[in-house]
Amino acid sequence: MSKVRERNESAWLLPNDGTRTNHGLRRDMRRFDDTDEIDLVVVGCGAGGSVLTQRLAREGWSVVALDAGPFWDPDRDWVSDEADSHRLYWTEPRVIDGADPVPLGSNNSGRGVGGSMVHYAGYTPRFHPSDFETFTRDGVGADWPLSYPDLKDYYAAIEEELPVAGEAWPWGDPHIYPHRPHPVGGNGEIFLRGAEKAGITAKVGPVAIVNGRFGNRPHCIYRGFCLQGCKVNAKASPLITHIPDALAHGAEVRPDSMVTRIEVDERTGLATGVHYVRDGISRFQRARMVAVAGYSIETPRLLLNSASKRFPDGLCNDFDQVGRYLMVQGAPQTAGRFDAEVRMYKSPPPEVSSEQFYETDPSRPYKRGFSIQTVSPLPITWAEHVAAQGHWGGKLREYMSDYVHWSCLGALCEFLPEPDNRVTLADEKDRHGLPVAKFSYTKGDNDKQLMKAAQAVMEDILHAAGADEVITIDRYAHLVGGARMAADERHGVVDAECRTFAVPNLFITDGSVLPTQGSANPALTIMAVAARAADRLKGSTR
Amino acid sequence: MSADRFPGFDVLSQRKHWDPVTAGVVLERISNVRDFRFFTPDEQAIATVLCDRLLGQDGDDRIPVAAMIDARLAEEQTDGWRYADMPEDGQAWRDTLAALREDGFADATEKEQDAQIQAVQDADDKWHGLPAARVWSLWTRYACTAFYAHPDAWTEIGFSGPAYPRGYKNAGVDRREPFEVRDHQPGEDPVR
Ligand SMILES: Cc1cc2nc3c(=O)[nH]c(=O)nc-3n(C[C@H](O)[C@H](O)[C@H](O)COP(=O)(O)OP(=O)(O)OC[C@H]3O[C@@H](n4cnc5c(N)ncnc54)[C@H](O)[C@@H]3O)c2cc1C
Ligand code: SF4
Repeated sequence: MSKVRERNESAWLLPNDGTRTNHGLRRDMRRFDDTDEIDLVVVGCGAGGSVLTQRLAREGWSVVALDAGPFWDPDRDWVSDEADSHRLYWTEPRVIDGADPVPLGSNNSGRGVGGSMVHYAGYTPRFHPSDFETFTRDGVGADWPLSYPDLKDYYAAIEEELPVAGEAWPWGDPHIYPHRPHPVGGNGEIFLRGAEKAGITAKVGPVAIVNGRFGNRPHCIYRGFCLQGCKVNAKASPLITHIPDALAHGAEVRPDSMVTRIEVDERTGLATGVHYVRDGISRFQRARMVAVAGYSIETPRLLLNSASKRFPDGLCNDFDQVGRYLMVQGAPQTAGRFDAEVRMYKSPPPEVSSEQFYETDPSRPYKRGFSIQTVSPLPITWAEHVAAQGHWGGKLREYMSDYVHWSCLGALCEFLPEPDNRVTLADEKDRHGLPVAKFSYTKGDNDKQLMKAAQAVMEDILHAAGADEVITIDRYAHLVGGARMAADERHGVVDAECRTFAVPNLFITDGSVLPTQGSANPALTIMAVAARAADRLKGSTR
Repeated sequence: MSADRFPGFDVLSQRKHWDPVTAGVVLERISNVRDFRFFTPDEQAIATVLCDRLLGQDGDDRIPVAAMIDARLAEEQTDGWRYADMPEDGQAWRDTLAALREDGFADATEKEQDAQIQAVQDADDKWHGLPAARVWSLWTRYACTAFYAHPDAWTEIGFSGPAYPRGYKNAGVDRREPFEVRDHQPGEDPVR
């Protein structure tokens, strides 16, 4: 593989004077007219959309990437404060339903250039080879139309670009990381100590946080506000890992542009561009190809809102696949109390993980598994954990005053894809007059068993480390799926190259295309899938 | 309350080390005595008592939780999502405060108020036609978010607050920065 700087210069295009944004690069960026028929318009500048944009801009394609949110400047727009980070989240109206509705907001998708990775934690594990064939191996979930070896080189490439720091990884397809593991704080120390005593293997990493210096990106300062946007430029997000290089290669990023509809020519059956609203004005960007990368809720919503005579039930929805098989990971969080001070807020929340329980264990009644990671909530999120125990009033305050003594672990349980866990359109409309997404979720039996098993392991680890009390809150994390890839149009929306079955010049390149989710955090896989799709597109005629 | 667990610790004493943008929002949060804009005077009265009871605030130096919630609702800084069987957050606040008023919450004694609050937490199903668990979640979510956004609350729990650009140099079990104060009642596990 060529040197990372030759493939992606982003980190060297950032300023090295203590500020975080290359304003000149943005000011001088190439700009296209709505009436230019550009090669590609991308909807959403998050994990998937940004990688696609950067890769094809490098190939000389004319690319415009639209994002509903702002073009962030970490110096001006982000704060070292939990409550005021609200603006990073997608807070347009959405309705949640089902037997186990999944609360959204801060814990889910983001808005603005960089997407949800602006406020993601920063864990970047690979999926395991088994994740691509859970149906064949375990009779659950689904097989992907591609397999681990198809993604392997893309994983390695993106790991260098973010870049990822961690110990040599023994699980899945064993591999090493380009950067050394970070030193750990109190929470990581407790996890490592407890795991060792409990006979469980835990490793430091893998996190997309600079260790040392990378281009003009400085070392992490261990300030713990990763979920509020990294003001340091140490934690990777596409805003700093892919967008600068894309701009330097002639792409345009058009922020504050909400795409409302994808236009398809009834006669040719091809997409012709996208309608979007900017500054309250409706516009239409023409393009030879369209890629949607708006996250697992907004992507299906946009397809459903793009119904036409040819596609009366929503674009690409001939076989009622759009919005289905949406997944969340079960993310129970278990905390342990120590007389010593842990002060888990010092250090990035992502520090240490274990994938020992990731694969199906034939001695257990359930299929598939879970991973365990440090999570280190800040006070507001911690209050949610404590309040979930039923405390309020003086009792809650007393419990909270004990904050510095707690260590907190989180599990990611592989919930299985189900057709009825899905996005549909609600009757309610947003301020653009578009029906909002309704997201229904119901856990299955296997899912519930995994939650319990993961909690038990976290309790064991914390007790082994010396905790005298443990408390758990059941949560969810990481939505993926909703427009999944499959072998054919009866089972999914796109093929292995992320091309929709229904419209040959329409692509989906975000987390929506994932057919299963493993117990790994999804961002690295989303980027790898988008990078692979870009590679396939390069060869094709524009 | 355990205000003396971290004697001498005061988050605000570190504000000269905060970046200007963060200092701006945090200091505005504590300095602004805001007029209520979202809640009507009736709603304001009930919301203030409710929030103070939820967070056990009875002293003089109270964190203005209800005012902070009012500002969030007035500025439509909600999370956007809502449960299918609940109205959106602003309306849900109005409806639940009206329900408390119907129950005579405002004129009840503190003890009775606590009992009324406890009844919502304990209810298995509906409370005034709304799913009780979701009402509970609405109240506690908003109240805790406001309260633990306030520097006085950070000081109370020994949390060091904003940390940019300085960061931390001494992470690890039982390690502290020079400005952090050791918990003087480390064995005070409230549930032991
Ligand atoms: C609190 C939190 C912690 C997380 N931690 C991790 C972690 O540690 N590791 C990990 O791998 N993952 C983590 N994730 C998940 C990860 O961030 C997401 O899975 C990933 O970013 C999704 O990528 P995406 O490309 O599908 O969408 P996104 O990255 O969300 O990008 C979608 C973009 O599209 C834009 N958009 C949407 N609709 C439109 C429209 N109609 N018009 C224009 N623009 C639109 C949005 O503004 C957004 O910028 C975390 C997420 C959260 C919320
Ligand atoms: S802990 Fe490190 S990576 Fe996280 S926000 Fe702070 S500087 Fe950035």
